[in-house]
Amino acid sequence: MIRVLLVRWSRYNPYYLEPEPRKEVYHIPETELTPEQKEERELKSVRPIKAATNSVTSSVFNDPVLSKFVNMMMKDGDKIIAKGIITQTLENMKRKQVEKYHKAPEVKKAEIECNPYVIFHQALENCKPVIGLASIQKGGKFYQVPIPLTDNRRRFLAMKWMITECRDNKHRRTLMYEKLSQELLAAFSKEGNVVKRKHELHKMAESNRAYAHYRWW
Amino acid sequence: TCLSGTSKNACQSEQHLGQYYTVPASHFHTVFPHGLPPRYQQQVKTFNEGCVMVRQPALELISHLKRADYINPTLRYLLYGVKGSGKTMSLCHAVHYCSTQGWLVLHIPDAHLWVKNCKELLPSSYHASRFDQPIQASNWLRNFRTTNEHFLSKIKLRQRYVWTKRESTEEGRPLGELVDMGVSRVKSSSDVVGAVLKELRLQAGGTEGGFRLAVAVDGVNGLWGRTTLKKEDKSPVAPEELTLVHNLRKMINNDWCGGAVIATLSQTGSLYAPSSAYLPQELLGEEGFDSMDPFIPVPVSLYSEKEFESCYLYYLDRHWLQHPHSQTEEGKKELIFLSNRNPSVLERLCAFL
Repeated sequence: MIRVLLVRWSRYNPYYLEPEPRKEVYHIPETELTPEQKEERELKSVRPIKAATNSVTSSVFNDPVLSKFVNMMMKDGDKIIAKGIITQTLENMKRKQVEKYHKAPEVKKAEIECNPYVIFHQALENCKPVIGLASIQKGGKFYQVPIPLTDNRRRFLAMKWMITECRDNKHRRTLMYEKLSQELLAAFSKEGNVVKRKHELHKMAESNRAYAHYRWW
Repeated sequence: TCLSGTSKNACQSEQHLGQYYTVPASHFHTVFPHGLPPRYQQQVKTFNEGCVMVRQPALELISHLKRADYINPTLRYLLYGVKGSGKTMSLCHAVHYCSTQGWLVLHIPDAHLWVKNCKELLPSSYHASRFDQPIQASNWLRNFRTTNEHFLSKIKLRQRYVWTKRESTEEGRPLGELVDMGVSRVKSSSDVVGAVLKELRLQAGGTEGGFRLAVAVDGVNGLWGRTTLKKEDKSPVAPEELTLVHNLRKMINNDWCGGAVIATLSQTGSLYAPSSAYLPQELLGEEGFDSMDPFIPVPVSLYSEKEFESCYLYYLDRHWLQHPHSQTEEGKKELIFLSNRNPSVLERLCAFL
């Protein structure tokens, strides 16, 4: 069991700046810097910088969307189990797709997508709702009003639906990574329960079009 | 440099070091019903083919097997190495070589499975103080039957065996009948295993209809040491008190001729052994080392640079490394750093990348 100790606290003086984990930024030579980048470097050499979190790495395989998904899947702060489930899911998806690839005839090989990261991102895109509903009070009654959603909110809703779907609607004996890989592959081809939920939300918003002018922002 | 088309393992030599050779699909079910590591079996299913890398320890073993003379008592080879360095795979490579050369192969997939997690321990009918394990014995006999189909009708028994008051197997009956009886009569399957091993030991070096016998044992350090099994009065069972272990120890002694014993140490399934132990002295213990002595030690090391390259190119070729960054130089350096060239760690890393 690997113990991970927290070094960074989440509340800092606003004077502190965010750290830059990517390696490419530091490899640009002096001459090719634009004036804004030079200013930024000047500022960073004077101001203090926050410590980097444990989940952020300078490795090329670091993926912010995947880290967010791992954090949402985590229960009781057990990141190791959540990360383990996600890696098993990716491996499972890759195995299914590679097996299909090797058994398919030459013509169909180009259409089969084997990269689990591409499948994951595409599936998440297919689950993101375009428009959401908010409960607004007008004249004593509450109406479900269609409102635009920010990008973060859409991403959050897609991940939340995916995780709740996999936790609730599965057989007692199926493991989490098995169910997740089935759902992600289904969402990649726009079938499955999560895209169905997204479509239902869109239909509700469409049917409540009349209340759209209750929104004042 | 990766896929060599030769599936003839008799002509593999140092030129093929680092290259992969394909095991024909028909061989998998007959030669390896129970020998391969589980992750490798998944890999074979995914890639729709089984490729094994030709490495130095396996080649050394095969060259020893080619040049040894079988009139002297059996030579014992012991594969040892760090966790995940490819000992079981080298053993399976050698077993495949033996079976293509027409030897009779006695492959015990993991000796640790016989000293732990046993649901049924019956007191033995043959010997008062020993214990039988019917499930493990019948499973092993079933797999043994699949591996050595063509030998079962040729070998004849040299002794009469009596199982119960009504059942007995006469002299001169084929071995296949004995094995079938062991699979169907589960209660006496451990004694059947003992009888089979004894017959094979007697007949291995014989000049008329002689065959060569290869005994391949994985996790041989489980035969000496402690077990987790308990008798009904909660006192621990020593390994000598199990019929299967007792008979297997007689096989590993070098008092018979006409074959070879290839063994692997394994820390993963071992009981009461620290996880950093990998040397024969530490894992076999005093008793085990004295019984295995003299043996030929074969160290299995981590991948060299050439072998790592070969493995990396094989995964690329089979479309296993899908992450775009893993196909660049940066990603490759990172894989070397993270896995330290350990074959099993590399396999687990590449699985999700």
